Amino acid sequence: MLKSMMTAAILGVAAMTAVPVAVQAEDLTGKTVKFGAIVPASGPFAEWGRANTVALKMLEKQVNEAGGINGAKMEIVIYDDGAKPAQAVSMLRKLADDDQVLAVAGPATSSAVEVAFPVANQLGIVSVSQNSSKPGVAAANRPWGFRNTVDEAKLARLVVPFFAKTFDVKKAAIIYDAKDATASAAGAKIFPQILADNGIENLDADTPISFNTGDLDVSAQVTKLRSLQPDAVVLSADYSQAITVLREMKRQGMKTPVVGSTQLMSSAILAAYPELPIVAPTTFFAGLDVPAVKTFTDGVTPLMRAEKNLPGTIEPSLFDANIYEIVSLFAQAAKEAGVTAAPADLAADRTRIRDYMASESDFVGLGGKVRFAADGDAVKSFFIVQAKDGKWTSLETACSSPEADACAQ
Amino acid sequence: MGVSIFIQQVLNGLTLGAVYTLIALAFSLVMGILGILNLAISEIFMIGAFIGFSLIMSGVPVWLALPGAMAVAAVISMVIARIGYEPLRNASHITPMLSTLGFSMILQNFATNTWGSDPMQLTLEGWLDTRFHFGLVSLSVVQIVVFAVTLGLCVLTALLIQRTDIGRGLRAVAENRDVSRILGVRPRRMILVAFALSGLLAGAAGVLVGLHYSVITPYIGVDIGLKAIAVMIVGGATNIWGALLAGPIIGILEVLTVAYGGAAMRDFIVYGMMIAILLVRPQGLLGGSSKTSGGRV
Repeated sequence: MLKSMMTAAILGVAAMTAVPVAVQAEDLTGKTVKFGAIVPASGPFAEWGRANTVALKMLEKQVNEAGGINGAKMEIVIYDDGAKPAQAVSMLRKLADDDQVLAVAGPATSSAVEVAFPVANQLGIVSVSQNSSKPGVAAANRPWGFRNTVDEAKLARLVVPFFAKTFDVKKAAIIYDAKDATASAAGAKIFPQILADNGIENLDADTPISFNTGDLDVSAQVTKLRSLQPDAVVLSADYSQAITVLREMKRQGMKTPVVGSTQLMSSAILAAYPELPIVAPTTFFAGLDVPAVKTFTDGVTPLMRAEKNLPGTIEPSLFDANIYEIVSLFAQAAKEAGVTAAPADLAADRTRIRDYMASESDFVGLGGKVRFAADGDAVKSFFIVQAKDGKWTSLETACSSPEADACAQ
Repeated sequence: MGVSIFIQQVLNGLTLGAVYTLIALAFSLVMGILGILNLAISEIFMIGAFIGFSLIMSGVPVWLALPGAMAVAAVISMVIARIGYEPLRNASHITPMLSTLGFSMILQNFATNTWGSDPMQLTLEGWLDTRFHFGLVSLSVVQIVVFAVTLGLCVLTALLIQRTDIGRGLRAVAENRDVSRILGVRPRRMILVAFALSGLLAGAAGVLVGLHYSVITPYIGVDIGLKAIAVMIVGGATNIWGALLAGPIIGILEVLTVAYGGAAMRDFIVYGMMIAILLVRPQGLLGGSSKTSGGRV
């Protein structure tokens, strides 16, 4: 008994010391605190990157109009990696070596993150992805790699049973993008396991149905899906590829409910097959009835729509919210962790940001409290949403961590 | 059910093959006359799809949007002929090919900056949204339109090449440019005509793809374009009817491979067939023998 009490006391002290110690904020007037961002502003995910850029420019303006970071001007240096892993690494090196930024938001895609995070570890600079959700990528790249996203496996474990109960699903078929890192991990490994764990028959377990990124014709796959007569379809693909599948399902008259991962979250999905129930998890959507989300959405939407290379109907996405939160957290870290913004202290400042990121537990993001778990992924509230009448509607709220009060405000 | 699904898959393959046929014809017109692979055709096809989509979305009827998009694609193709081919026509064959590759990159960037990288979606209404059901097999009006337009354009192209002065001029240039000039043919004009015809066909394929799949992106050209090159090789680059035969063969083969072997096998089978044809019958299924390869187009 005594031993367990002592253990508890030691653990308690350890937990207390893990909380960041308040550091005397230094007056940084006249200085500039620089952060970097790597976004895919060209290539197949150009709209993600361009929208990310608008959100970051708005944040930069907001922070500087509010007095900056302890008097210093905040500058966000934004580079485009075209969603290409090699280019992401080049941009990360440029930001770290040439621009001497304190921390980097991005890169976005899991394939880029998988090669950029090891370089971040070599360089000793925080890199936080706004999109990547392939399981285990941050965990394999500690201590400098973080992701403001939740592992798809954690989300799917809560979404699938909810979906199965809501739509009375006994048998399902999976279709996935075999060339997309996150989609193939979820489609080939995560979802089959979760279907089995929930007693749902996986109709294409023996002959998985897949397609490749960029495929326009998925008629053969959808005809095969149709022939299996599932109660539901698990669609694991990023939204731009998922639209191709949904359009083909519509063309072939397939009316089976669809469930997927956060990759489905886009306003473009809403127009693909409006009559079909499509369910997905997300930590943010533009219609979320939360004051911070409303303020963010009202501020950034007109700016995005004013951009000539973004659609006039665009709404901020989950990934815009994520990158906005990442740099907001950088700014808070720089304010509270004693960053000096002196060139001689660059390595120390970067370490301060990293330590703050790893231990900070009071940061409030757009959808609620955000902190980073030991595996480098975000712990935050998420919503199970359904596409309905041209908009996303929240069906359920949950926390990505099973720990009690992990997401409590 | 198995037979119905098989028939449905064959219909899926025929539709895909029809699109391949038109783009393969676009490739073979330039290839047959000038002996160069115009790599920009894939992206002219993509631009045709976007122009067709934009016109239909702004309320232009399909019967007008189709020739409209074809005309724009033809103009782009002629610009490429003037800037990307003409000044380089005396260089080695690889040089104009690289030039057209450059144009394809420019066109893809232009589309991304103009229409965005997100998929553009079209909602079909009225007669275009009609679908006929035969038990478990179904066929849409758009699929019938795709088959009819493809067949019609193939026949028109064949008639133009074989029965008109323009066709005779094109064939003369294909045989020997210098001799054709002596005979009164203006090779420069014929080259422009070949590029224009090629653009018209690629543009038509773009509109048909847009109508059938109802979703396009600036990146649809690469994959479909490469398959069309395979169709051209399998059918024979010097024979219009070769594309009409090989398009459906490749389309059906591709779809059945995906359905019964998996998507991972698809490219292995399609491009494997192309390589096999190159090894066994390099002139293609309907191409003439190597001795008569001068009889192009």
